[in-house]
Amino acid sequence: MSILEVCNLRKEYRSFLLDDVSFSLEEGKITGFIGRNGAGKSTTLKSLFGFVRPDGGSVEFFGKPFKSNEDEIKRRTGFLLGEVNYYAGKKISAITRVTKPFFSTWDDAAYEKYSKMFSLDENKKPSELSAGMKVKYSLALALSHGAELLILDEPTSGLDPFSRDELLEIFGDLCREGKTLLFSTHITSDLMRCADNIIYIKKGRIIYDGDMNAYTDGYRVVEFDEANELPHEKLIGARREKSGYSALIRAEDVDEKTQCRAATLEEIMLHIEREDKT
Amino acid sequence: MINLLKKEFSLAMHPTAPIFLALSAMLIIPNYPYYVVFFYTGLAIFFTCLSGRENNDIFYSMLLPVSKRKIVAARFIYAVILETAQIAVAVPFALIRQSMDIGGNAVGMDAGISLFALSLPMMTLFNAVFFGSYYKDVKKVGASFAKASIAMFLYIAVAEMLAHIIPFMRDVLDTPDTEYVPEKLIVLAVCVLIYATGTFFVYRKAASDFEKQDI
Repeated sequence: MSILEVCNLRKEYRSFLLDDVSFSLEEGKITGFIGRNGAGKSTTLKSLFGFVRPDGGSVEFFGKPFKSNEDEIKRRTGFLLGEVNYYAGKKISAITRVTKPFFSTWDDAAYEKYSKMFSLDENKKPSELSAGMKVKYSLALALSHGAELLILDEPTSGLDPFSRDELLEIFGDLCREGKTLLFSTHITSDLMRCADNIIYIKKGRIIYDGDMNAYTDGYRVVEFDEANELPHEKLIGARREKSGYSALIRAEDVDEKTQCRAATLEEIMLHIEREDKT
Repeated sequence: MINLLKKEFSLAMHPTAPIFLALSAMLIIPNYPYYVVFFYTGLAIFFTCLSGRENNDIFYSMLLPVSKRKIVAARFIYAVILETAQIAVAVPFALIRQSMDIGGNAVGMDAGISLFALSLPMMTLFNAVFFGSYYKDVKKVGASFAKASIAMFLYIAVAEMLAHIIPFMRDVLDTPDTEYVPEKLIVLAVCVLIYATGTFFVYRKAASDFEKQDI
């Protein structure tokens, strides 16, 4: 049983089409959801939780369709859309007090544990919290109602490098506790640090869904001085660098003569998006 | 639903809502278009929805294990509680006004059973126009309230005008509450029915619109 199974999700807007989006999540793994701004990451995530009503396709959490099991699924899933910015003027303690009775699975001890771990001050208001602390508060809420799956939309964007690092460490710990995480980001270096799998969405379509290392291993970066130095048909998204050019090449197209190096996720994304532009 | 209502009153309610309830005291102003008192209830509901937009109330509610339909139901119950509370708080002030030895209201309906009765269709109209528009697009709170305000003021103008033109309204309804009590209670019952059924159908339409809406 997959913890989250998305099949042929479709959403049509006047100027954007989310088309045939299918993927599934492996239990106890961290999956990164990548794509450039406007590629459809947020629309996809919002469609999972009913914020956006899809025109087609199906979404199943824990083997159950979302629509007919909404209450149970929301108890077992934590959904963080950016940082917490609801009721910015209310005290955290007031928001928690109201939130708690909605969840029959609420665990006070867990809330205390995570509040302590994240150094949350109950008397503060969301407006007084840093972006990182807002994400941590959302995590504390989700983990206190026993969320097994955490879906996070750009949780690390807007954070300073230290806060991002701290948050990624928390994600790793949660994963070791058996939680499953899906988080969207365009900061691919974050994924290189903690993700097991990636889902890559481009212009509303999934172009890769699988093991992250296998994906990065499938490409190499070629650096050269002149634009016509290498066979163009094999290069992907050649771009001018500070000195010379760089391009992506599929690992299977690399021959003995080609001088290349391993590609990072960011380089793969940059060249693939570049290829589409040229 | 109890939990959602607790959320409505402790997190979502705008601080002006209880203050506006106190404006029921305006019924002791000797001469005043008393229907305006019930406009403030609409204003409190509008402020709650407006601050809800600024505080991402709907986003927060959507994360809770409740359906979109229940979120709408909770907001309607919240509105109905405010609207009926406005009338309940107004009753003692209407009694005080009636006990004043200064004659009836010179500019509109007297404060009494008929005023309360006829304010109910006005609040039904507010609910229909405001929530009918708001739940089609929760971002357009201001536009929804502008439409609802126009509808309410038109209702007030027409209701006050008819109280001078239609003999039944002038001679039976717009009289001290020591007179024509059975007739006034029948009108009150009819208006309660209009309010209850009207608001219920408005809720059903709003819930269905909200379910279709992308947040």
